[in-house]
Amino acid sequence: MKRISTAFFTLTVLLASSAYAQDGEKLFKQNCASCHTLTDKAMVGPGLAGLFDRIPSEEWAISWVKNSSKMVAAGDPYAVKIFNANNKVPMSAFEFLSDEEIKGVLSYIRNPPVKEVPAAAAVVADAGAKPSGALAGDTLIYVLVGLALLLLLLLVVLRGVKRSLTHLVSERDGVPAPVEKGAVGTLLSWMNTHRGWTAFSVLVVVLILLRMGIQGLMTIGVYQGYAPTQPINFSHKIHAGQNGINCVYCHSSAEKGKTAGIPSLNVCMNCHSYVDQGPTGTAEIAKIYRALDYDPATKTYGSKPTPVKWVRVHNLPDLSYFNHSQHVVAGQIPCQTCHGAVEEQAVVGQHSPLTMGWCIDCHRTTNVQVTDNGYYEDLHKRTPEWHNGDPITVERIGGLECAKCHY
Amino acid sequence: MSRTKIYWKGLDELHNTPEFQESAANEFTPEATADIFNDGNESTEAGTKRRDFLKFMGFSIGAATLAACETPVMRSVPYLNKPEDITPGVPNWYASSFFDGVDYASILVKTREGRPIKVIGNRRSTVTLGGVNARINSSVLSLYDAARAKGPLKGGAESTWNEVDRDIVIGLKKAASEGKQVVLLTETIISPSTKHAIAEFTEAFGDVKHVILDSLSVSGVLAANEESFGVRALADYQFDKAEVVVSFGSDFLSATPNSNANAARYAKMRKPKDGKMSRHFQFEANMSLTGSNADVRVAQKPSETIDSLVALYNRIASATGGSVVSGGVDSPEVSKAASELLAAKGKGIVISGSNSKAEQVLVNAINSQLGNIGTTIDLTNPLLLRQGNDADMAALVVDMNAGKVGALLIHGVNPSYSYFDAEKFNSGLAKVDITVSFADRLDETAEKVGILTPDHHYLESWNDAEPKAGHYSLVQPTIQPLFNTRQFQESLLKWSGNDSDYYTYIRENWKGSIYSASLNPVFANFFNTALFEGVYENGATEAVAIAFKGDVNAAAAALPKYSGDFELQLYVKAGAGDGSQANNPWLQELPDPVSRVTWDNYLTMSPTQMKELGFSRLERGDFMADVAILTANGVTLKIPVYPSPGQKYGTVGLAVGYGRTAAGKSGNGVGVNAFPLAKDGSFSVGGVTISSANEKYEIAQLQSHHTLMGRESIVKETTFAEYSKDAKAGNPRVEFYVASAPSAARKAAATAHGQEHGHDGHAHADDHGHENYKIGAADANLWGNHAIDSGHRWGMAIDLNKCIGCGACVTACGAENNVPVVGKEEVRRGRDMHWLRIDRYYTSDMTTERAKAEGVGAIDKFTAMEAAAVAPRVAYQPVMCQHCNHAPCETVCPVAATTHSDEGLNQMTYNRCIGTRYCANNCPYKVRRFNWFQYHDGSKEFGNNPANSELGRMVLNPDVVVRDRGVMEKCSFCVQGIQAAKLKAKKMGRKVLDEEVQSACAEACPTHAIAFGDLNDTESRVASKAKDERSYHLLEEVGVQPNVYYMTKVRNLTSEEV
Repeated sequence: MKRISTAFFTLTVLLASSAYAQDGEKLFKQNCASCHTLTDKAMVGPGLAGLFDRIPSEEWAISWVKNSSKMVAAGDPYAVKIFNANNKVPMSAFEFLSDEEIKGVLSYIRNPPVKEVPAAAAVVADAGAKPSGALAGDTLIYVLVGLALLLLLLLVVLRGVKRSLTHLVSERDGVPAPVEKGAVGTLLSWMNTHRGWTAFSVLVVVLILLRMGIQGLMTIGVYQGYAPTQPINFSHKIHAGQNGINCVYCHSSAEKGKTAGIPSLNVCMNCHSYVDQGPTGTAEIAKIYRALDYDPATKTYGSKPTPVKWVRVHNLPDLSYFNHSQHVVAGQIPCQTCHGAVEEQAVVGQHSPLTMGWCIDCHRTTNVQVTDNGYYEDLHKRTPEWHNGDPITVERIGGLECAKCHY
Repeated sequence: MSRTKIYWKGLDELHNTPEFQESAANEFTPEATADIFNDGNESTEAGTKRRDFLKFMGFSIGAATLAACETPVMRSVPYLNKPEDITPGVPNWYASSFFDGVDYASILVKTREGRPIKVIGNRRSTVTLGGVNARINSSVLSLYDAARAKGPLKGGAESTWNEVDRDIVIGLKKAASEGKQVVLLTETIISPSTKHAIAEFTEAFGDVKHVILDSLSVSGVLAANEESFGVRALADYQFDKAEVVVSFGSDFLSATPNSNANAARYAKMRKPKDGKMSRHFQFEANMSLTGSNADVRVAQKPSETIDSLVALYNRIASATGGSVVSGGVDSPEVSKAASELLAAKGKGIVISGSNSKAEQVLVNAINSQLGNIGTTIDLTNPLLLRQGNDADMAALVVDMNAGKVGALLIHGVNPSYSYFDAEKFNSGLAKVDITVSFADRLDETAEKVGILTPDHHYLESWNDAEPKAGHYSLVQPTIQPLFNTRQFQESLLKWSGNDSDYYTYIRENWKGSIYSASLNPVFANFFNTALFEGVYENGATEAVAIAFKGDVNAAAAALPKYSGDFELQLYVKAGAGDGSQANNPWLQELPDPVSRVTWDNYLTMSPTQMKELGFSRLERGDFMADVAILTANGVTLKIPVYPSPGQKYGTVGLAVGYGRTAAGKSGNGVGVNAFPLAKDGSFSVGGVTISSANEKYEIAQLQSHHTLMGRESIVKETTFAEYSKDAKAGNPRVEFYVASAPSAARKAAATAHGQEHGHDGHAHADDHGHENYKIGAADANLWGNHAIDSGHRWGMAIDLNKCIGCGACVTACGAENNVPVVGKEEVRRGRDMHWLRIDRYYTSDMTTERAKAEGVGAIDKFTAMEAAAVAPRVAYQPVMCQHCNHAPCETVCPVAATTHSDEGLNQMTYNRCIGTRYCANNCPYKVRRFNWFQYHDGSKEFGNNPANSELGRMVLNPDVVVRDRGVMEKCSFCVQGIQAAKLKAKKMGRKVLDEEVQSACAEACPTHAIAFGDLNDTESRVASKAKDERSYHLLEEVGVQPNVYYMTKVRNLTSEEV
């Protein structure tokens, strides 16, 4: 038994290491990419372009990667030079990597993959796709409008023809032409003779207008779809969508307090101290640096930071209390339920109406997450026949009561 | 149709002139157009025509409407670098300490987004046991006081720290070189690090004299303790061990040092449990808060109180073999107190509120003879809360006037206001070369000094405290300094040449003097633990009896003598204190617990005497008080007279802490300053004359009806003897007889309910042999019951035995719920907004039984019942929304703005309310408050309301809305706290713990009289109290089924005392 397991273990390790040896790219991304780029741009450590023109030998590189501090301590001249050139920041030791694996990484560095199509171009292509789709929808409307115009023209022409013919007939017969009533006159005389229809049509029109008016009034103060321009063109599509960053990585207080919170700039800098270029260039990211008075070249912070004044998108009136953590943690509601597919939005907008009716509708239909929560267990004990076994919606535990949100 | 007659309008038409033809063609002649938009002289063509105007107007309105419909752009500015511990919307709590020379408490400060918004007691402190009073929990508002100094001032003009520092150092050096005194005049310093800093300062400038002044002086007590026991400090009274308390004019529950802790301890012995409850005798002139809670209260003139004290001493001394002194007037109460004290040797406390050393020596002698020293009275670990010496201050004033003082630095005291001989102090102040004040504002003293170097507010400061020997606590800042102020200690250190910041200084001082490696190997851990807990107590030394060394005969000979028809007893109000927080509108609007008057001080007088002197007794809603002229100690004051049942005939009372002139807009000109009457720090004054000023003054009182008029279902009370026999004494079940048999279902419900409450629904035959059915008040229903057994049911139980009426809950409620301050004028109109009031009831000499026995008619009976007894007993009853399960307010609201929740709350939805006020009319408890005005719109009229200014708004609780004009508001059971606690429990996946959620009143109550929690949680404290035999509902017979329970008041009286 023991022998078999040892063999199995050895096999696994062997397989794994050979796989790693082949996959220098993966190893590089896992271990090196947080400090080094493949270009000549320095991040924490120097850029690795032209590495093999600089270093003494591949063997030197392997022993450097394994434990650079040891080499510096031993007084290797090139190691000391590199160490001093990089502000005496030692490189982490990677003694767990085998020589083969390091060789794999080095070969990846020597032959970096050909650059893919720039992401910016992809975005442009992406943006181009949308209008064409929209055009297809619009064509139908244009066709319909054209048809309607054509019919209207036909009506006018036919009316003219009729009038000419009447004139011709009366001229031929020698009787005076009938008095022209004009379009309005005709309509009025028609209305005079069809009073029932007229009354009915007027009623219908008035009712339609009233309903439209009331609906219009209901939307006052509802800013659904409000997507203002922000001081920094931050794209949720890139961060949450393409990069797959979890919402609460930045909006951490959504799990703790009432507000989801706009992340403070130190959260941005967790990544953007290294990532100084996005698909649209450096301009937007540079705004973060400006706000923080941060110099990306020297990686130092100045003394005159200026806060970023974001434009608030979602705004509940002060008379209602809303708590994010209640919904995110206790209710286990995904962010998208209220905020829509934020990960697809380049400019974030208000997805839901945020009206009281909208809140109430959801409270009526959403089930409370009672399983595995000691809070509800205890309440269950106190109420043996909880609503005759019906699902417990938020409404059933008082989720429609005024003082749940208004106090 | 032919025209037979032709009419013409005028000759023009008849002659058909060219002018007429023109005008006929032009209907609207320029002259005919009412050109109201031009001033007539201008040519009409150039100006705006009416139609144009309408066009413009139409366009503008349209444009404005469109613009208004656009989303208002709101900015959201996050932190650049978010502090790790701050999450917006989540409060942070910090432990700190409050000390202002009057009160001390270890506290917890609630902050939201970096703003302190609430102060509660820290229950880790064994000195204060978590007790805070109204003055302490309101102190958070004083932080946001617009009257605070914004920076250093020199000669009243703005200056810089560099400039004033230079001037002061030069001034101090000059004074020292000229051989003049440099004097530091401060309040009591309980901070060890401050003492250290003062020592450093003294060293730097040679011989600095440190004079300590207490605005509420206990110099006599300190001197007596020094003589009697060799300890110049205050005793820490262990009221929780005292079975008999005898107080000679001491308001130990409200006014004395550490009164907040006294209240917490006292209440522990007021619980009738295991056949034990303390007995409390009070001998006093005014009806004080403490006296109103006493079992046996004897109204006496201050001079008579001294006689009683001597008599008590003689009785105790003769019983214990001590030497008897001459004098003393015995009385049955004194003899009773003596025998009970002797029966409870080592378990009694005798305490006096006098500042006379002689009286205090006698009190010490009594306590010593009874063996109370070391058991109930701790002098081994004494309180250090007062250290002032009146003689030092008197000497300083003399020296100042003699020009011997070269520099005077004043910290924490305001002698121009609170020193009895302020005039002499002021004249002396003018003779001092350089005067510096550290006051937080240009107060009465600071406006007379040369340089003002304003100190931080305590919530902006670092500090430490040693309120009791060996018991330390820390003060930590909870906000960045709002203004350009500097900590007092830092100023002293800077002038001494030490540039260290005070935080480092405290740490170093603790490291050097308090810390030892045996406590914790790492000093930082030790210090941070103390900071986190707020206190560091290295364990009190076992209190031991200290032998009495005083001279009783000398004391008896030196007892103060008072003469004249009237004796005046000055007192300290629960809200006003010594007046240092006079500009705090929460405290000004807090009604005095006994008189229920706000925004004033006044002369309290016995109603009998008022009638004799022709003063209005303010009966039946009369608010116009007569003004009297009082003369005593060469001071004459004009003060309104207010009736105080229980006040000794021949005495008057007057509160200090009023009549400020430089406190700020809320405190200035409120009442009169009584400090000048307190000659040599004595609050008892003889030789008082009173006459009428023939003027009227409108009093702002919150209660004009003072007795219960025989309504026994409001305050239920019984005696301890009765209670011991039957726990339900004084609390009979409220029952109704119904003529017909209840339906089976109803009967079952009644029986079930009866069993739940320990009753059984049973048939009962009446006198005529008809079978009547008796049902409880809760079962006589018009409506179906709420499903009260499911989920939570929030409830409250208020123990009337423990409630001392102090008012800490009222201010705490206001702070938590953004209750507006309405000001004196509105209170006069009865429009106070407090969600929680403490009703005070006096007993009346007339009762229904007496009327029956004496054959008094109904009208005479009720007239007599309206008047309080000559020697009334007092009951306090906090009343807030009772959250009725059958709430009468809910059924009358036309817009369903007040509704019932599944959790037993009566909810008030402000944005739905249209202000019909039907609900208030229908509320049997009168707890609903109507917003008559927009109290926060910045108007001058409501300038006292904190929400009226940018600065004051910082104190608002962001979780509770500020209500608009025209809506009802009322107690919500602090629903925001309930919701927060439930959310926390849900997130953690556990049940809501008992007492985890506390209403602001329950949290603030120093005596734990209010229990709040889930009535459906059978193990909760409130549920056990609700089941107690003493529990009842207010006005139970109305049948509204409240979720608030009251518990019968038990007085420890013998049968003949009843």
